[in-house]
Formats: sequence, structure tokens, C-alpha cells
Amino acid sequence: MPGPGFRAPAFGRPRNDGLCQRGLPHLLTTYLRRHTPFWISILAGIAIWEIAGRSTSAAFMVPFSETVRQLWLFMWSREFIEQFLDSAELFLTGFVLALVVGAPLGLLFARVRALRVGVEPYIMILYATPMVALIPFILSMMGFGFAPKVLVVFLFAVFPVLYNTVEGARSIKPELIEVAKSYRSSEWALWREVMLPYTLPFIMTGVRQSIGRALVGMIAAEFFLSATGLGQLIMGASQNFDTAGVFASIFLIGLIGVGLMRLGLKIEQHFARWRQ
Amino acid sequence: MSEQTVTVSSAPAQPAAKPAARETRAPGTFGPRLVTGVAILGAWEFVVRALAPAYVAKPSTVVMAFPHVITDPAFLKATGATLAAVAEGLGIALVFGTIIGLLLGRSVMFERAIRHYVNGFYALPMIVVLPLFSLWFGYSGATRLATIIFAAVFSIILNVSDGARSVPREYMEVARSFRSSRLSTLFGIVLPSSMPYLLAGIRLAAGRALIGAVVAEFFLSVGGVGYYILYNSRSYHHAEAFVGVLLLAAFGVGFEVLVGWTTQRFMPWYRRGDRG
Repeated sequence: MPGPGFRAPAFGRPRNDGLCQRGLPHLLTTYLRRHTPFWISILAGIAIWEIAGRSTSAAFMVPFSETVRQLWLFMWSREFIEQFLDSAELFLTGFVLALVVGAPLGLLFARVRALRVGVEPYIMILYATPMVALIPFILSMMGFGFAPKVLVVFLFAVFPVLYNTVEGARSIKPELIEVAKSYRSSEWALWREVMLPYTLPFIMTGVRQSIGRALVGMIAAEFFLSATGLGQLIMGASQNFDTAGVFASIFLIGLIGVGLMRLGLKIEQHFARWRQ
Repeated sequence: MSEQTVTVSSAPAQPAAKPAARETRAPGTFGPRLVTGVAILGAWEFVVRALAPAYVAKPSTVVMAFPHVITDPAFLKATGATLAAVAEGLGIALVFGTIIGLLLGRSVMFERAIRHYVNGFYALPMIVVLPLFSLWFGYSGATRLATIIFAAVFSIILNVSDGARSVPREYMEVARSFRSSRLSTLFGIVLPSSMPYLLAGIRLAAGRALIGAVVAEFFLSVGGVGYYILYNSRSYHHAEAFVGVLLLAAFGVGFEVLVGWTTQRFMPWYRRGDRG
């Protein structure tokens, strides 16, 4: 498939010439050709949702139009903005903590072989354990504050970062470290100039995976610890049998999830160029 | 000692890979692992004894609780209920996920129509659908099953479609030149060829299904390991509850090992990186 062709050089490339000369209308048609199936599929999905919602009971399913209307009403209420910011604070705190702890720890494990060999199986075990199972313990030991919720998000998010960082740092060519050593590089310089740059793409893969898991952790913490934020919006609506509210909040969280996923992919791809 | 001789004698065969090969096959991975394990358990025991209230689980109390929990009929019943639900949900997700995944990978029309929805649902934190499912199916095992299927199916679809797309072109050409029907091409060539992807998808799906089951049991108070953990930790039987966590961890790790072994044993031709 030919690329968008914006960078078309003027000479000797007849394939791209047409695009430059025809300009805007041609761009429009390429856009349409590429994105029409997408929009058709989205519109068809909305239509099916709408019809299904209208032909069933309102307690069971709510049509798309009603969901969007509900969401719109939500979005301008003061309560919503507070809840949203609450969730965002929880997500960011837990996620940043996971990154700040996971990446350096991963580098350390990769650098100190005895340490890595020692902890590796335990990291694998923790990675495969469903972290949600720890929520009741966290609840009864730490109560309902902000800290236990951050801990839940952190536990969900830290292992992908840690795991990918260790894997990345392990794959550093030993020659690189040997050369740095033979130039009498200090340990700090070695980390900063060799290990970190080499490992960054792998860390970003971990970041992408963590984003999704941190979001799950955030919702789980808001469901099962103290009910706040977006989780509380869904729970409240569900307990009041407000199906429209449930649909609106799930739809919103879905949009946030897709947005974060795309952001994660963008970040990963941006850094993946470093990996040859 | 004998391991060391093996390493030395095999080393000259592939000098380029020497450091890595020596590292993975080096003797004494057991020693550091044991030391780390003992250190982790010791630190846990010490910290809990020094700082936490008496009911908090520590290794000694977990070990003490282990025999009577594992023979407790209530615990066995809970385990059976959860594992049966996970197996049933995984089975259903596997059938539908494989069919949809194959279609998604091999049919352009189908891909354009539903790709965005699959991605969108995959990005949706699976536990947000719980309140909605509980409205639909009630506070029962059916909701747990639906949650497990929802948690599992999209990673299978995505992996199988990746696999179906990466079938070598020669295979398809041979199939066409022998006038193989579309259906037999799909199940005779595309499916076996994407088997490793399917297994990778199942591995991911099993982890997610387990999380889905536990979260559903927390949320719905349906009998199972998740509910067992919740109930015991609420009544301050943390050691008993922790045995449940150990069981979940063992199940997660066991599945990981099983899939890894199957891939190596039956598909030695295949190597691939992880997918988040």
C-alpha cells in the first residue's frame, strides 16, 4: 500500500507527482477511500445498537441516542468533573509510581546477575497471579483511604514494566557494556548512556501493557475499596437500576480505554524506531 | 558441577551467543533462588510480626492453615465451582473466538466491519461490564460465566486473527491450486498454521478469565475461590484466605507452564515474542 505521499520529492517520481498537483481534492478522495469502511462500520454499529435498544425494555438496554444524551447531561455536572478528576489522580499516581519503581528495579535486576536469577521466578509468579485477589487483604489492612487504592493500581501496573525492562536490559549486547567498561565508564554513566537508552523501547512496551492494566486496577479499586470516581458512577447507576446511567458510564470508560490504548501504542511505536 | 562441564564443552560451538548461553545454562540458579525465596518469606514474617496486627497473614500462619484449608469441603467446593466456571467460559470463548478470529484474519469485509469493535471491547477494562451484566443476568453464576467469556474472548480473537493473517502465502497458493474449498482451507490450513497464536491467545485469555471470575465473585457474592477469599478476609481469617490466593497463583502459573510446554513440545518450529 502506498503511503500518504506528503513527502513526495518533485523529480523523477511520477507515482507521487499526481498527488501534489491535484492537491486538496485528491487528498479528500484518499481520505474517503481509506476511512469510508471505518465510518460505515461505526454507523452500522450505532444503528444496530439503536434498534436493539428501542426494541427491548428500557431496564435491559438503552439505545445509543439515549446513552449519548445521558452522557452529555453527565458531563457538565459538577459531580462528574470531580469524580473524573478523582479517578485521573488515582490512575496517574499509581501508574507513575509503577513506572518509577518498575523501570529502575528492572535495570538493577538485569545488571546484577545474582539478583536477577534470584528474583526472576518470583516475578513470574506474581505476574501470573490475579492481583484482584489481594484487594480484600488490602481493604482490611489499610482501610478506605487514597493510599490503598493507589497500591492496587500500582500492583496491577508494575509487573508489565518490570518484566519488560528486565527482558530488554538482558538483551543488551555484552559488547556495548564491555566497550563502555574498557573506556572506564563509571557505573552511573553506563546506566545513563548505555542501559537506559537501549532498554527504553522495551520499557515502553511495558508502559503500553501497564496502561491497560492500571485502568482495570483503577476501576477495581473504586469498586471494591471506597466507591469514588468513575467506578462510583457505574456502581451508583447500577444500584439505582438506572440503565441509561450504566450505559453512559461504560461507554465513557470504553472511550477512555480506547484513547489510552492508542496513546500507549503511539508511545510504543515512537520509541520502537530505536530498536533496529 | 556436571552442568559446568556441559557449558564449557558446548561453548566453542557458537561463540557469538556465548555470554547469553552461559548465563542461561550457568550452574547454581537454584542457590540464589532459594536464598531470595527465604529472604522474601523471612522479611514478610518479620515485618508482619513487628508491625501488623495478629490477624494479618504471615508465612508461618499460612503454612499452619494450609492443611486444614486444603481438606476443607467448603474450600474444595469453592475451588471446583470457580475452576468449572473458568473452564466453561474459556471453552465457549475458545470456540467463538477462534471462528471470529479466523474470519477476521482472512476476510477483508469482515475485518473492516468489526475490527474496531473487537479492539474497542478489548480496551474496555473488563470489570466495568459487571454492573451491567448483573442487571441482565442477575446476581448468579450466569453473570460470572458471562464476565469470564467477555474477559477471555477478545484476546483469543485478536491473536487468532493475527495468526490467520500471517499464514505463509505459499500455503494459500498451494491450497488454491489444488482447488481446496474455502472452508477446508480455513480449517485445514489457516487454523493449524495459526495454532501457536491461538495458544498464546489462550494463555492471555486464561489469565484474564481468572481475574474475571474472581472479580465477579467479589461483586456478586457467588460461591467460589474469590468469594472464599473475600469472606475469610472479612472475618479476619487472613491465613485461610491467603491459601485461596496461593491456589489462584498456582493455577495462573500452571496454565502458563502448560501452554509453554505445549508450544515447545508440539510446535517446536515456532518462536514468537509476547503480545500484551
